[in-house]
Amino acid sequence: MPIGAGAIVGMGASLIGGIFGSSAAKKAKKAAAREARRLEAKLNHLEENRQEVVNPYEDFENLSGMLSNPFANLGVATQAAEIKREESDLALASTLDTLRATGASAGGATALAQAALRSKKDIAADIEQQEAQNEKLKAQGEQQLQQQKMSEAQRMQQAGAAGKQFVFQVQEGREQQQIDRTASLLGQAKQAAGMAAAAQTGAITGMFGNLAQIGISQIK
Amino acid sequence: MNKNVITNLTIKQMTQSSAMGFDKSYLARSSDVNFDILGKAFANTGKEYARLKIAVENNTCQSDNCNFEINRMKQLKEAPKDALDFLSLIVAEVETTEEPNFDPNNNYEYTVINCILKQRPGFSKTDGYDVALYLLEDGTQDLVFVGPAFETPLVINNSSLNSLYEAGISIVTSTPDITKEMAKLLTEVNIFHMEDVNTNGELKANAKIKEQFILKNPDGTFIYEVVDLGNGKGRNLLQYDMDKIMKTANPFVESEISGLLAVEQEAVAAWNVYLSEGKYWSYTEDLPLSQDKKDLFAKKYKDYFMDNYLKKFTENQVPTNPEDAAIFDLEEVKKAKAQAFIKANNL
Repeated sequence: MPIGAGAIVGMGASLIGGIFGSSAAKKAKKAAAREARRLEAKLNHLEENRQEVVNPYEDFENLSGMLSNPFANLGVATQAAEIKREESDLALASTLDTLRATGASAGGATALAQAALRSKKDIAADIEQQEAQNEKLKAQGEQQLQQQKMSEAQRMQQAGAAGKQFVFQVQEGREQQQIDRTASLLGQAKQAAGMAAAAQTGAITGMFGNLAQIGISQIK
Repeated sequence: MNKNVITNLTIKQMTQSSAMGFDKSYLARSSDVNFDILGKAFANTGKEYARLKIAVENNTCQSDNCNFEINRMKQLKEAPKDALDFLSLIVAEVETTEEPNFDPNNNYEYTVINCILKQRPGFSKTDGYDVALYLLEDGTQDLVFVGPAFETPLVINNSSLNSLYEAGISIVTSTPDITKEMAKLLTEVNIFHMEDVNTNGELKANAKIKEQFILKNPDGTFIYEVVDLGNGKGRNLLQYDMDKIMKTANPFVESEISGLLAVEQEAVAAWNVYLSEGKYWSYTEDLPLSQDKKDLFAKKYKDYFMDNYLKKFTENQVPTNPEDAAIFDLEEVKKAKAQAFIKANNL
């Protein structure tokens, strides 16, 4: 509501309108300046308190510790060779004892001993081969397991990094958006303050056209 | 409540209630509202100007080189413009008392001035009020208000008022509409999708908090809160990770608070009107705000935002999946849970 005409002076409505127009412009200028101050502080706070830049790969670890050479301790089947020798010796001794007891010829004993030795040799070789094969399979399994573990650990690290990067980017995007928006509002508020100041000048200038109405034209 | 608050609220009630329209004694008497502020102030200025001008032109000045006379003539020439500027500034200031969220802790005398200048019933010359503008010798002007509501005449000098205005300080504090600001803030805190914000920058009625803030089991299923609806029926409600929500929203809320605290007198108004719960701060005693008060303001602002704006999006939220949202029989669910437990534990 405009100021009461009688409160100022009983005069034309245009002067009262001028006072009212000027007061509205002053209010607008003040409000715009206040808004600009508020937005400036908000913008400063946003800029000063942006989230820290994160390194999404900071948790990456050197996974080489997970690796070992599964072939480093491949067992040589020496025990099989030992058994083979001991068993051959034992067989030979007992066959000889038998030959002595039965009075067999020396040639027969030798042939028997050779046969026994051959048989034991074959068995030993077979055991040795099986043991070596088992060792090899075990090492291969271990190698495969290590590869799988390594691959899973890498996948987990990669996923963690991607997640961090995503969260950072979303927050960063929103903060930047907010900074841009506040900066734009600040520009608008400053422009509004400028326009209000111009309106205030206009209103006061307009009032001068009506000064004659207040009976003070004689001093001009 | 102190006398100042009571007076402000009484005047507000009186001017808004139309009660005077039903007061026969008020209607029966005449009411003189013609304060004639400018007419009285400039009544003799024409003569004075003419006298000074003649003295200068005839070289009959009383001061050396007519310095005083020339200076006074200049003042009188500028006085009408200054007076109009002064009055418009006072109107701009005291009109704040009419704002709907006006803080009654502002000095009530400015509310009275607004009523006088706006010719409100009960504030006329007949009621004992008067206003006078004085053109002082130093070129400044005093506006003096007297009347029953003023313990002593209230004097406002145009130069002082203008300095305050230029410095962005008000004699009557406007209260920032933090409810409007908080509604806007809600869209900025990064917990809603941008698609949930309408073209006016407000949240749509069906806006939902992003799924990443809903509590889930390790297998990705939602952790529901089961509410008893009575009559053996129940339903699932979503639960939210409030810590995560606050952590995400905090930088934006704090920047808003920082903006509010940049204009401390308005922060006091916002405190008194929205946050204080009756423990008012004084414009004369509590400004500038101490760090303790700033911290308290920030805490209360966050609580207010949480309780009045965020909470409604985290409470009583039904699952979006229709199957999970359906009302169910509580007894059946209990049995199903028991059976699942027995089976899982080979009992």
